[in-house]
Amino acid sequence: MISRPERLFNYAILALFAAVALYPVALILRTALQPDQIGDSGGLHVSNFAAAWDEGHFSSYMRTSVVVAALVVGLATTLSILAGYAFGTMSFPGSEVIFYVMLLGIMIPAEALVVPLYFDLRSLGLTDSLVAIVMPQVAQSTAFGTFWMRAYFRTSSREVVEAARLDGAGHWRTLWSVLVPMGRPAITTMVVLVFMWTWNEFLIPLVMATSEELRTAPLGLAFFQGRYTSGTALLAAGAALVAVPVVAVYIFLQRHFIRGMVEGAVK
Amino acid sequence: MRAAQQRWVPLAAAVAAATLLVAWTPASDNAAGSDTTAPPTGDTSTDPAELGDVTLTVWDQEVRGGQNDQIEALNSAFTEAYPNITIDRVSRSTDDLRTTLRLALSGDDAPDVVQANNSRSEMGQYVGAGLLVPLDEYAEAYGWFDRFPESVRALASYSDDGAVFGEGQLYGLPQMGEIVGLFYNKTKLDELGIEPPATTDEFAAAVEAAQAAGETPVQFGNSEAWPGIHQYGFVQNQFVDAESIRDLGFGRPGSSWTSEENLSAAEAIVSWADSGVFAEGFSGVDYDTAWQNFAQGDGVFFVGGTWLVADLTDAMGDEVGFVLTPAGASGQNLVTGGISIPWAIPANSENADAAAAYIDFITNSEAMTIVTEAGNLPVVDAGAQQVEGLQAEVFTAWAEAGEADLLVPYLDYATETFYDTITVAVQDLLAGERSPQEFLEHLESEYTAATGS
Amino acid sequence: MTETGRRRAPPGEPRKLGYLYILPAVVVFVAFIGVPLCRSVSLSLYEWDGLGDKVWVGLANYREVFTDPELRGAFAHALVLVVFYAVIPVVLGTLIAATMMRARRMRGLGVFRVLIFLPQVVPMVVVAIAWRQIYQPDGSLNSLLRLVGLDRFARPWLGDYTWALPSVGLVGTWVSTGLCFVLALAGMTKIPRELYEAARLDGAGPVREFFAITLPAIRGEVAVALTLTVIAALKTFDLVYVMTGGGPGTETTVPSYQVFRHAFQLGRVGTAAALALVLTAIVFVVTLAINRIGGSRESR
Repeated sequence: MISRPERLFNYAILALFAAVALYPVALILRTALQPDQIGDSGGLHVSNFAAAWDEGHFSSYMRTSVVVAALVVGLATTLSILAGYAFGTMSFPGSEVIFYVMLLGIMIPAEALVVPLYFDLRSLGLTDSLVAIVMPQVAQSTAFGTFWMRAYFRTSSREVVEAARLDGAGHWRTLWSVLVPMGRPAITTMVVLVFMWTWNEFLIPLVMATSEELRTAPLGLAFFQGRYTSGTALLAAGAALVAVPVVAVYIFLQRHFIRGMVEGAVK
Repeated sequence: MRAAQQRWVPLAAAVAAATLLVAWTPASDNAAGSDTTAPPTGDTSTDPAELGDVTLTVWDQEVRGGQNDQIEALNSAFTEAYPNITIDRVSRSTDDLRTTLRLALSGDDAPDVVQANNSRSEMGQYVGAGLLVPLDEYAEAYGWFDRFPESVRALASYSDDGAVFGEGQLYGLPQMGEIVGLFYNKTKLDELGIEPPATTDEFAAAVEAAQAAGETPVQFGNSEAWPGIHQYGFVQNQFVDAESIRDLGFGRPGSSWTSEENLSAAEAIVSWADSGVFAEGFSGVDYDTAWQNFAQGDGVFFVGGTWLVADLTDAMGDEVGFVLTPAGASGQNLVTGGISIPWAIPANSENADAAAAYIDFITNSEAMTIVTEAGNLPVVDAGAQQVEGLQAEVFTAWAEAGEADLLVPYLDYATETFYDTITVAVQDLLAGERSPQEFLEHLESEYTAATGS
Repeated sequence: MTETGRRRAPPGEPRKLGYLYILPAVVVFVAFIGVPLCRSVSLSLYEWDGLGDKVWVGLANYREVFTDPELRGAFAHALVLVVFYAVIPVVLGTLIAATMMRARRMRGLGVFRVLIFLPQVVPMVVVAIAWRQIYQPDGSLNSLLRLVGLDRFARPWLGDYTWALPSVGLVGTWVSTGLCFVLALAGMTKIPRELYEAARLDGAGPVREFFAITLPAIRGEVAVALTLTVIAALKTFDLVYVMTGGGPGTETTVPSYQVFRHAFQLGRVGTAAALALVLTAIVFVVTLAINRIGGSRESR
């Protein structure tokens, strides 16, 4: 058993760690509640959030972020489940090679893709469209998702699969009626990670979206920083607004977030 | 499965080769404007009401207090007068607009009206690539040639290939004038018993007195790098003559960055940075924090542009004044400035006529009054306005600058890459990373390369 | 795994079924990753301003990447960031986890874990805005220094030529350490107690225990932590764009920021493509190296 002083010591370290981790976030919240114009009264200015929402056009940005995230998560999840199923349970010529090539896709920085993609999509007239913002992210998330789902499918119990087959279920039914429901934790983790990466994505929307309607929340925040020239309270309020959705999802599903990152190690 | 492997290896290789081949072929993806580049000839419709239902997408960078107010007012007036036109306004900081404009102009879905900085790196390049509509036809129709003096129009004119700045067709029309002068805190100057300085010696004395009294002499924040251009110009204007600055600023051959006078200027600003004339930690302070610090009483002087007048009046009321650059060895109160960022029409826009009507509306004489009432400096008709307080001092300075020909250009106009060069170089200079001599030689090499002088 | 996932397909199952399943993913992958990558290679051999005609220049752009001091500087800065984003957090995270190793059944550990991991989740733009405020000349960091009497260390962090880059790096440390801690702790809790008891019987002190038992056991986790954080360091863009714009001067430029600048602001698309490909190559090499040394077979 660990001794009392040692336990206190551990708590102290954890508390210090957590405090450092929280400080910048807390700072944002505190700044957001301060008076906005120079010379305003003190007190908690909760109205700043509403003001930032209006002035910073955050309703539009958040809506776009939600739409983009939903599309990316939906498409990437579907494609990853399909591909992971194939890589994980079927053998076909070239599957190893193709899989490893896709895995490499995770490592390619977005910069190497976004420059030619922008100019090529521009010739096709597709820049400044949802396609341009969503599809590159789908591709990158699918690369990760396929890896993730393949790992899951490989470890799924053979007995269950064979039982389903004996019951007369074809490959499709086996996948969707048996393996996917069983794989809910793994899929949830993937969904949660892809959601976070998509919500926080900055470079791709920055390059691809030129009209206001298609700008996502982090982008809107960056531009708000430039536009907002007389104080910091509204900017902090806007920052808090942009962070809330993803932090909220994190707090509710944090097990999955952390598991996702940690278990990547085992695989 | 050797047999299977032997089958797909050549297949995979063929696919890979085909992909590479397809990907290799550089498609000719020119972004130049489509055939709608040609402005309407003959009878240009100048009545927006005749244009049917139009949605005008406007990209501007009028985000500061006074500028935002006047644009909002003008936009409501415009849509009230012409209900068939809806305005979709996108406003962004100058930096962000610069970043995103290039991409937007070359796309199919270009905005209809944009503010494009008239420097070579922006408007010059856009004109050269055919991305902006030449405005001469509209100028004829709306009478801009008569209303705006040559000096104003030249600042937004380029030759068709974008190579010559100051001549050729008109590509943009500004709403406001701008000068970068010396804001001063009246209360503090009174406490120090000093008059607003008109010469370099008087300014030096004021700075000394401020330091002795424990005040920050010149409030300044250069973390964004571009204020450095104005600050440096402020110093250079005191040492170097107008002709040379115009050559260097516009990128015209005939002068040299490494002249004696320029060396004195560079050495002067370095001594200021070293002896604490600027606010403490200025290299890490951004522009807006700096002027807000000044507004809250930290700093006797602030070198800034007339775009701050509305905000400063709101914050400081009668406490703030404005004068032109002190006169030094240059012999004149030269002042950096000219026009605010002009309004232009992208070639890929589909509503060029409506856009031109909008531009005319926001620059006509009623508009100039609205601009003034929101606390700004209109580019023409300034003499006809009623102003008081800080704004009156600014208008006086502007009138003087016009009459005595004191305007010198922003230094980043010189070449296509000068904005990047000089912003970084000034930061280097003020941090002691480059000596004044190295700083000037660095600028000189780019200047001579571009002008061939 | 000896079987490569090969299962007996029921009779009548078309052999090429696997291809159909992977087809959508592969199509998307090829269209939005494969083709752009090849086009990057193609673009890097031209000089192009994005608006007009392309000019063939062969390998000149690559030469520029390796000789231009500003571009080389960007890679040097990335290297510094790797130290801050990866090396320090891994070391710190591992050490702190080691001190708590025996705290497996502490109450409230879960809560702490959530908080400590939080920096990984917050959007980078928000992080940049928060830290920009902390680094202001009158911000939290300087206030803290003044509070403990270290006035002379207070400075304009993001405007200081020497300290701007480390300041950016410190933000990365803040973001990454939580992840490394969690990873290390997860690895450590799997180490069987018996190993330590055996070592203690042999007379090993805590330091020996750490190097002989703990560290080797978490090699996999450390490799993953290093991989993730090194890639994050090399891909830094948002933080620089929002917090410093590459300044002061060019002290905090990083490769991805330079790619963006060259492609979309300076009109030098060929150089940008070359830069991006060099960066990609570096990421590949580093990831492979880490995983070779780390001993895990699959690179993540």
